Amino acid sequence: MSLRLDKLGVVIALLVAYGTLVAPFATFRANRIVPGEAKSILAALPVGAGVVLLGLMVVAAAIILLKTPALLRLAAAAVSLGAIALFIGLTATYLTPPENTYARVSPASGFWVLLFANALLAADSITRLRPRPGVRVLLLLATLAGATAILVSGLWDGLSILKEYAGRADVFWLEAGRHVALALGSLFASVVVGLPLGILCHRVEPLRAGVLNTLNLIQTIPSIALFGILIAPLGWIAVNVPGAAAIGIRGIGAAPAFVALFLYSLLPVVANTVVGLAGVPREANEAARGIGMTDRQRLFGIELPLAMPVILTGIRIVLVQNIGLATIAALIGGGGFGVFVFQGIGQTAMDLVLLGAVPTVVLAFAAAIVLDALIEMNTPSQNRGRTA
Amino acid sequence: MIEIDGITKRYDGTAVVDNVTMTIAPRTVTVIVGTSGSGKTTLLRMINRLVEPSAGAIRLDGDDNRSMPGYELRRRIGYAIQGHGLFPHRTVAQNIATVPVLLGWDKGRIDAKVRELLALFQLDPAIFAARFPHELSGGQQQRVGVARALAAEPKVLLMDEPFGALDPIIRAKAQADLLDIQRLLKTTIVLVTHDMDEAFHLADKIAVMDKGELVQYGTPAELVTNPATEFVQTLIGASERPFRLLSIETAGQAVEPGTADGQPVDAATSQRDVLSELLWTGRDALPVAAADGTLIGKVTLEGLARRAARPQ
Repeated sequence: MSLRLDKLGVVIALLVAYGTLVAPFATFRANRIVPGEAKSILAALPVGAGVVLLGLMVVAAAIILLKTPALLRLAAAAVSLGAIALFIGLTATYLTPPENTYARVSPASGFWVLLFANALLAADSITRLRPRPGVRVLLLLATLAGATAILVSGLWDGLSILKEYAGRADVFWLEAGRHVALALGSLFASVVVGLPLGILCHRVEPLRAGVLNTLNLIQTIPSIALFGILIAPLGWIAVNVPGAAAIGIRGIGAAPAFVALFLYSLLPVVANTVVGLAGVPREANEAARGIGMTDRQRLFGIELPLAMPVILTGIRIVLVQNIGLATIAALIGGGGFGVFVFQGIGQTAMDLVLLGAVPTVVLAFAAAIVLDALIEMNTPSQNRGRTA
Repeated sequence: MIEIDGITKRYDGTAVVDNVTMTIAPRTVTVIVGTSGSGKTTLLRMINRLVEPSAGAIRLDGDDNRSMPGYELRRRIGYAIQGHGLFPHRTVAQNIATVPVLLGWDKGRIDAKVRELLALFQLDPAIFAARFPHELSGGQQQRVGVARALAAEPKVLLMDEPFGALDPIIRAKAQADLLDIQRLLKTTIVLVTHDMDEAFHLADKIAVMDKGELVQYGTPAELVTNPATEFVQTLIGASERPFRLLSIETAGQAVEPGTADGQPVDAATSQRDVLSELLWTGRDALPVAAADGTLIGKVTLEGLARRAARPQ
């Protein structure tokens, strides 16, 4: 193996060096809202453990810096991620004085930088390995299983974010359910409405510009403003339409959040349907008609299958966007992880903000990986391995 | 038999096809030629009603082609286009099976038909049936496109510049194969092209379209010897006339008794190609061999010269 530098590796190695040597690894606070005291790796861990982690990071940085096989780089990333996940749990037990339930230990910038650098390394080496879509989903499941195992083992229980969780476990899962229901429900509704609308726009050209421009306009309305706009009509419906209030339609709460997410979702679904259908080869369409397919057979047999990768890309955009945007629903009593984010901001308790933010990011990330795999499985192989 | 009766297509008041009447005999190859914008493709597409006429009627074996829904009509008529139009997400076998599936044939019959057609087009079913269109060469794609058009055993096959995207060598082979298959299946073929060499090579009768009108409809020889208009004359090319005449018939049709030295030419070779061979080899006669290799006579330079001259 020649000792040559890897271009992206240099950047990641610098990040690792910064996260290991310069930035603090953990923060210790006497209680949940006072400013904390930053601790480096050696100060945050028992002497032996600190040295082990430092040593690991030096070895990892060397592997990252040089041109090494992708599989070795992935292994280095996996070991590093595992190590920092284990050691951050250790800092909590080490730094918290015995019998003290007010003191909080939370990951500091060094931890996050190391996490980011190694995640980047993992993503980069996975890209270089070009695994099949199914393998990527398996890797995701393995990562999630690892994180779940650590959570269940109680290793992280001393960390501030889990102390926040411990106080609200019931509410957490309730809001998690609401968050997912809001994001997936509005996605489902937007596909049910957007797909036929996209097909209609494709077939009826004069409609296209009008519909797409309107949806574009909706996309530019800030979410808070959209909530405000929706209060009046939804409130009116709740009062005047029999049964509307009974199924939960009100001016504030989950209903306007659902409607807003639905409206934001329409543009990517409709636009990608139109673009996908327009990208169907003209000859294939022409031949389909020429050999006697009806319009319906052509739509379901030729056009939609060929447009599917592009449509799925739109759905991927919507899903990731909705998982993030659903956080805002908490502002108008719609529930979801945003509840913790806004409570945390109100109490200047950053740990509580993280309790809302981290699951949101994990959820969005997982959704993106699963849908990317789905898109690749639906793409005709010519776009994957074309040689000529 | 296809009877085209006073057919007209107008777009925004302008006639693209203007009052065309012609009768296409069954089991023949008719080639429609013309410059781009002459209305030749529109005329072809009115036969299977991809384009609905503004006036006039088209009858297939006596039945008006509007007596059934357009998609049902099109399932009975083969249709092949330039750039093959294969479905990229379906295998070769699935592509060929498209119309039989639409018609609800049972699986055994469809599989047998797919294998038969692949073999007919010199594509080994074991290798090609499961491939996707992008895994084939241009010539193979074009053959699959024609095989798909013939899958439901149509009596009529419409072809819109089917060989336009092929390079010259593959095109010549594709044209020869098409003629063989036409003789075998006895399909009535209507083919649109702007390539006059192709027209003379393939056609039993040629229809010349100019600005939406049918200016001449006759055998290739009639077009050369008796062009109806200046346009037909130009299209054929004055300097090409003797060679066009020779390209219509085969060496077998110009055989004279006797023998000659040299490498025998195949009886199916066009007289034009034989003339070329004679000129190049510097001989004034070449032996002619039948398909089974037996010598059946000779072709002479003098004999070809007589055939290339304007009929008196």
